[in-house]
Amino acid sequence: MNSDLTISRRRFLQSLAAVGVVVACGPTAAPSPSPSPSGSAAPATAKPVSIEWWRRNYTPGSQTAETITSDAAVKGWRERNPNFTITIQGGPFGPETDQKFDIAILQQKAGPDVFHTTGGDVLKYAAASQLSEPPLTDAERKDFNPSALQATTYKGKVVAYPLWIVPWFEYINLDLFKEAGVTPPKDGNWTYDEFLAAAKKLTFKRANGKQAYGFAHANDEFAFMLIDGGRPYDKDVKTWTFNSADAVTGLEKWVALAQAKVMPPDFLTLNPNDSQARFLSGDIAILQRPSAMINVLNADKNWEFGKNWDIANFPKAKGDQTAWGGVGFIAVREQQDADKKAAAHQFAKYLTGPDIGPDLKKQTPPVEYWLAPAGRTSAAGIYGDYHPAKAKVAKMGAFTYVLPNVSTWSEIDQKYMRPARDAALEGKKTPKQALDEVTSAAQRLLDEANK
Amino acid sequence: MTAALRRHGWSYVFVLPTFSLFVVFTLLPVAQGLVLALQDARVTGGTFIGLANFGTLADDPVFRQAIGNTVLYATVVVAAQVTLALVVASLIQPLGAKSRVFYRALFYLPLVNSAILVAMVWRWIFNPNPFGLANATLGAIGLGPFLWIGSSDQALLAVILSAVLTIPGGGVVLYSAAMGSLPRELYEAADLEGAGPFAKWRHITVPLLRPTTLYLVVVYTILAFQVFERVYIMTNGGGPNNATITIVQLIYSTAFQFGRYGLASAMAVVLFLMAMVVAVAQFRSLRTDVEY
Repeated sequence: MNSDLTISRRRFLQSLAAVGVVVACGPTAAPSPSPSPSGSAAPATAKPVSIEWWRRNYTPGSQTAETITSDAAVKGWRERNPNFTITIQGGPFGPETDQKFDIAILQQKAGPDVFHTTGGDVLKYAAASQLSEPPLTDAERKDFNPSALQATTYKGKVVAYPLWIVPWFEYINLDLFKEAGVTPPKDGNWTYDEFLAAAKKLTFKRANGKQAYGFAHANDEFAFMLIDGGRPYDKDVKTWTFNSADAVTGLEKWVALAQAKVMPPDFLTLNPNDSQARFLSGDIAILQRPSAMINVLNADKNWEFGKNWDIANFPKAKGDQTAWGGVGFIAVREQQDADKKAAAHQFAKYLTGPDIGPDLKKQTPPVEYWLAPAGRTSAAGIYGDYHPAKAKVAKMGAFTYVLPNVSTWSEIDQKYMRPARDAALEGKKTPKQALDEVTSAAQRLLDEANK
Repeated sequence: MTAALRRHGWSYVFVLPTFSLFVVFTLLPVAQGLVLALQDARVTGGTFIGLANFGTLADDPVFRQAIGNTVLYATVVVAAQVTLALVVASLIQPLGAKSRVFYRALFYLPLVNSAILVAMVWRWIFNPNPFGLANATLGAIGLGPFLWIGSSDQALLAVILSAVLTIPGGGVVLYSAAMGSLPRELYEAADLEGAGPFAKWRHITVPLLRPTTLYLVVVYTILAFQVFERVYIMTNGGGPNNATITIVQLIYSTAFQFGRYGLASAMAVVLFLMAMVVAVAQFRSLRTDVEY
């Protein structure tokens, strides 16, 4: 018997479709040296030691700020400690690199000896007992910014070194202020009412028909909700409080900006790069962005500080002067090799201490190490020495609200807070209604983080 | 049977390399996803929690919204794309051989573009500012401006429009090829009966294309259920007030931003079941015994 196995086009197409269903799841010239009380630069060790430093956005041979500063930092450290060999590993900012860190540190219990990290990750790694506690002296503890130190505290212990504080503030287009006849805030200080009035006047159609908007932000923080004293959590970080009366009035002030139409119509989806581009093209008079934008403006010869642009504080209302901000950390991974661990701590202290700034300034060409205000007092001065704009904002670290470490914050933020904020800003819900609605979900996630 | 096996058994050796790759890189990850869905899986590992993840999803309003958005997107986009592909292929078919090849290539060419780049262009087209192409164009005739992706009421519509307004080149090519092989005798008989072009298209072409239509409907539905980069790029993820959040977008953020691999896997299982149920329904409603 001869059995011919044939398949019709119809069967073939059906088979393809069935397989488809299965597959479906499936830097700049630097300042004058200001040597400060150190303790960070340990004396050269006699024993050679090799450590690995993982740094996001480090790409050998590239001109990214992270690459330039990291290479210079290693060079500076090796001049002090020639017996150290430091290898840098990079990776782009984003989930792929986050996952690389997680798999190495949490699953394989290997990977970097020292690494840059951010708020949520510090807790995650500390909870898995993968961070080596920094051996800080009392003097060093006092030297660090208290809120930054708190942000790296897990179960009462400091688990990483605060590197820098990244405050958000207001960038001002002085040309638009002049065109609209608005006086910039004196010494960068203004009240919310003055800020709102300025934003309204700065929203106008220019002579060439181009629309200018008074204010924009990149849709990535909740600064206005702090303006009357509102905070996401209570002091013990046990209770969700972003629906308090102060948080609600803060959101109402934010909503007032939307209602006054002083923000561009795409303000709900405006991402950081687009918002900066719109500011640079002269569409936005006041832009809320973090300190890193100073270097963006300095790199553009059309933008001269004091002539075309300036910096102002976040407007003040009922609460204390506050800025929203983040913190960067340097962490040391817990490991059996005592020599590597000790070397990693020495290097971490150097990276976060007062000596690195002057060391890198002496290099040829000079390198600006501090990309944001330092997390400790003894290292803070040099950031202000880099540029007059930086001098103006260096002191803002003192009143920057650093979000306490809650491992579930990104879920609270993206899944619940942003939609609630959007609903209020669009006028679909009142600020109180929007904030009340997320409270139970936010508290549940906060409780989960505190387990 | 034994004789057939003896005669053709060695053929499986040729299938083995591809089948092995399919098992390792497709079936095993799918199986692992099913296991993870039953665990409270984090990057450090997970514990078995039975069907608890599915209970969590049932109570999650954001997941329900993601399902609703995904189903709406898939329904509109699949219907529009299959119809558009059929219409464009039908318009190409009467042309000469060279023209048909030219138009097939023309419509297929955009498929080689990066989906990310295409989504970025659509983000600019539906930008709520007057410089967005849609607003600039509509403004010329006195309409708008519309908020498009800047509004929770219009963002999903803008994302759907971006998909609908993109001519599905793959579908055009498949339909065009299928039309070329339809038996000419049926059309000659219809000519003798005095049927017009639309009647022939309606009563001969469309019915005979059902196997191709079934394939396209199933594949386009799966692709629509998996929509991610278009939403991610056009509306920064879920858009204003989660207006454009889709299942795959939520799987991505749940797994890689919130670190809940078990919950994300449970979402993937739900997506798989949805795709399977819809595909079975499509098979049942569109299958045909007509062979040509």
